Amino acid sequence: MPTTKFSLDPSDINNFTYDMSRCIKCKGCYWVEHTYQPGARFATRCPSNVWNDFDAYGAFGKMRIGLALAEGRLEWTPKLLEIIYADPLCGACDVGCKRNLDLEVELSLESLRVKAVKDGAGPMPVHKKIAQNIATKHNVYGAPHGNRKQWATGDLKIEEKADLLYFVGCTASYGNKEIAQSTAKILNATGTPFMLMPEEWCCGNTLQSVGMLDEARALAKRNIEMVKSTGAKRVLLSCAEGYRMWKVEYPKLLNIATADLGFEVVHLVEFADEALQKGSLRPAKPVNKRVTYHDSCSISRLADPWTPYSGERGWMGTVNPRLKRRRGTQGLYAQPRNVINAIPGIDFVEMIRTRENAFCCGAGRGTKEAFPTLASSSAKHRLEEVKEIGAEVLVSACPWCKNNFASAAAGDNVKVMDFSELILASLDA
Amino acid sequence: MAIVKEAYRALEAVVGAGYLSDDPAVCEGYRSGPGGYENGLGYERVMTRIPGAVILPRSTEEVQKIVKICLRYKVPYVPYSTGFYGPRSHPHIEGALLVDLKRLNDFEFDEKHWYANVGSGFIYAQFQEECLKRGGYGVIGGGGAQASVIANLIGDGWSPLSHRIGLPHRRILGTEMVLPDGEILRTGSLAVGDDPFWGDGIGPDLRGLLRGYTGLRGCLGIVTKMAVKVLPFQPERLEPTGISPDTALALPEKRVKWINYIMPSKETQVRAMYEIGKAEIGGAVTKVPLFWRAIAKAECKEEFWDLWLKETPETVANFHIVRVLLIGFTNEEQLEYDEKVLSDIMQELGGSPRRTKPSDESWIKNADSAGMWLMCGSYVSVDYVIETLGQATEHGQVYADLKKKYTPPLMPDHGDPGWFQSFELGYQGYSEFLIYWDQDENTDGVDHFYLETSKMNINHRFYTSLLGPHQPMYLTGPKYGPNYHEWMLKIKNEFDPMWLCHPPVPFAHDEFVRRAPWMHKLADWESPREFPYPQWLKEKMDAEAAAFHVKK
Repeated sequence: MPTTKFSLDPSDINNFTYDMSRCIKCKGCYWVEHTYQPGARFATRCPSNVWNDFDAYGAFGKMRIGLALAEGRLEWTPKLLEIIYADPLCGACDVGCKRNLDLEVELSLESLRVKAVKDGAGPMPVHKKIAQNIATKHNVYGAPHGNRKQWATGDLKIEEKADLLYFVGCTASYGNKEIAQSTAKILNATGTPFMLMPEEWCCGNTLQSVGMLDEARALAKRNIEMVKSTGAKRVLLSCAEGYRMWKVEYPKLLNIATADLGFEVVHLVEFADEALQKGSLRPAKPVNKRVTYHDSCSISRLADPWTPYSGERGWMGTVNPRLKRRRGTQGLYAQPRNVINAIPGIDFVEMIRTRENAFCCGAGRGTKEAFPTLASSSAKHRLEEVKEIGAEVLVSACPWCKNNFASAAAGDNVKVMDFSELILASLDA
Repeated sequence: MAIVKEAYRALEAVVGAGYLSDDPAVCEGYRSGPGGYENGLGYERVMTRIPGAVILPRSTEEVQKIVKICLRYKVPYVPYSTGFYGPRSHPHIEGALLVDLKRLNDFEFDEKHWYANVGSGFIYAQFQEECLKRGGYGVIGGGGAQASVIANLIGDGWSPLSHRIGLPHRRILGTEMVLPDGEILRTGSLAVGDDPFWGDGIGPDLRGLLRGYTGLRGCLGIVTKMAVKVLPFQPERLEPTGISPDTALALPEKRVKWINYIMPSKETQVRAMYEIGKAEIGGAVTKVPLFWRAIAKAECKEEFWDLWLKETPETVANFHIVRVLLIGFTNEEQLEYDEKVLSDIMQELGGSPRRTKPSDESWIKNADSAGMWLMCGSYVSVDYVIETLGQATEHGQVYADLKKKYTPPLMPDHGDPGWFQSFELGYQGYSEFLIYWDQDENTDGVDHFYLETSKMNINHRFYTSLLGPHQPMYLTGPKYGPNYHEWMLKIKNEFDPMWLCHPPVPFAHDEFVRRAPWMHKLADWESPREFPYPQWLKEKMDAEAAAFHVKK
């Protein structure tokens, strides 16, 4: 039986033509998984295909389009670029498909973007501007690099050297300073010494997400070397997108395993849960609110660690050597809930769509910049769910989610908070 | 090939620019294959086309206007709900308009009379959840939890739950359908009022027209709404548990319980099903193929093959499982009583219970149809027969014997005789034969097997459901009826004289055999030199057949 060599490398679309050709249009990628299917309302989990109803905007359509691109049957057009890029790559389709079929949908979608860049068609113009900002100012916003640490006010205890390195990320450094400050205060409150990267640069999320892998790889190398030079044993993130970059994408870009990074990557929700178990985090101040939690994609279904794979596909599509599929089962689902439930006074209520079925806010991975209406409509759609369950506070663990929800919630009676802010609110001053 | 500009502009005026597209990338997203139900086979490769344009109506009125525009400008069109039904639900002709019905997703539940009105875009999992919330339930057909309720009820609409709930035509209480002339047809009691209590309606039962045995396959109009009967279940919540892919519904054990019994022989297996039906107990009674168990156990495709290739023809031949779902519909005592009756039956027949998880992975809120693609990548259920339980086992064995000739390319299955189960408390036996293959291999043998099954059914006098548009009408029609094909033609001409609705269905499989050279050697039945299409379609079909041969 002839075999075909392949690897899980999105830089070559041909690695995923098998997956694209086996999509059966069951639309398990679009609907909330049947077990958790809530009925007439809130039944879907694909922001792109809710934003635009044509099949082309769902993963099942993109699998067909991807195959046509791989086979040279389709030309790049503005509409095709919209189809490929109007998508937060939130991973809902990937875990949906892996319920039964185990097709590599997320990597297939990434490979389309890489091909768009290689063919000179992509990314979208605004992404190119962001790439330019990163190249010149080391942040996505084009803000002066010198202002990056302005959030670090004098009341915060930040070490020159520590085992834990807090990688703040562009958004918490420049826009959502409250997240960086809350995180630092939580670390201080738990008695955890931490340092910052001497010269923190962008994590490269947008670059990787839009298919500019060479540029993202350069940042990955640089950032990893910087961490290693500090001797840090753990890198902590308060940004979900940053967490995914460090834990999953850097290893993927460098063809190494997450376990081989040489340091551990943790998100604040993990750190806080650990601290709670150890007793160093003591949320004592009541927060008398009805609170719900939004699972940010990059710390949930996209967060399984990375292991490089190359092998052969043979009879009946079986692969050799055996492949441990990433199905989103190792996401940080329990940790944030443990912490929120430990805060006195909180009336915690789950959303209708949770964990791997959560409906993405629609902002991430280059979407909000290029397709703001997709991001705002997705956030509004999710906020309808928040109102349905009667929550007063919507908590997420990513500044992208917070900002997107906050702008969509303007005028509503829903307060949007970052996870770090909620914890801080429960700590005695 | 795009549709004519005038027609496009008129359609745009109906739905707005955002819900109509002839963009090549958008249309490519609606390609049937290469993956999916029956895809990767000759029929899909030869007969399907990407649409010339796609339109997304929101209401029956919009559908009506679309159909009238298509009639005015002679634009062929195809109704499409979820697209999961493989090539049969996709355009078969260049320049067709695909009418994607997903936005017709309304749902109304009549609390007093216990029925639900659903639109074409509403899926089974949604429907079942809305029913369960109210202590009711319906059937999630084998097409899967993500299948459109309407599309599946027209075509199939059964599952192991049909042991108690019965066949789909008993649950279709009323239907709203836009006919090819743009008029609206309402069936059942909806024809005379707005109360869908009576599926038969006055005069001829038009459900026969709508679905016959397995449906009209989109060639007699567009169904936009259906009133579906809801049956009482039990009031306790079935709690969803786990993280995908390991999810299940935790069952309230005193009200809902699956029990697996291993029977000593096929005879006792069938006998047990009869007796369970006779005792009027159980919510589902089914035998499942052994390889389904391997699918359920395996962590991945590779592990499936490790498990499955350890089996032998003997282990398969000696696997006699009866899987029974008990439901305490009225109270806990009912389940206790049913379990005792079941235990007595099994004791008498030598059945031994196996440890069964207190959860439901399949059938109450799910039909894991998508899992059927795990092993090989390609799948189709080649036949469904609803007859008697005794006949079901014969039918499966005959299929298994024929299948040997075509393995490979079909998956090695150690002679598995398929799946059968009790319908309507054992009054009917359902058998289904499923086949699997790798679409990257030469699939001519699969195409041959598919067609040969028709001849096999004719020779053995099995009344197969797939005699209609799924097989050459000139092969099956004269044998069933004996003029089934002529009636199909008359009905088609009466309702759609222009043949604009999903052409060339119901003669598409005839067309496939005509076009595909590798099928010619099997074509030993009488077939007209020219199919009875209207002139425009005849010219189009000839041109497409010629183009196919040039491409080949």
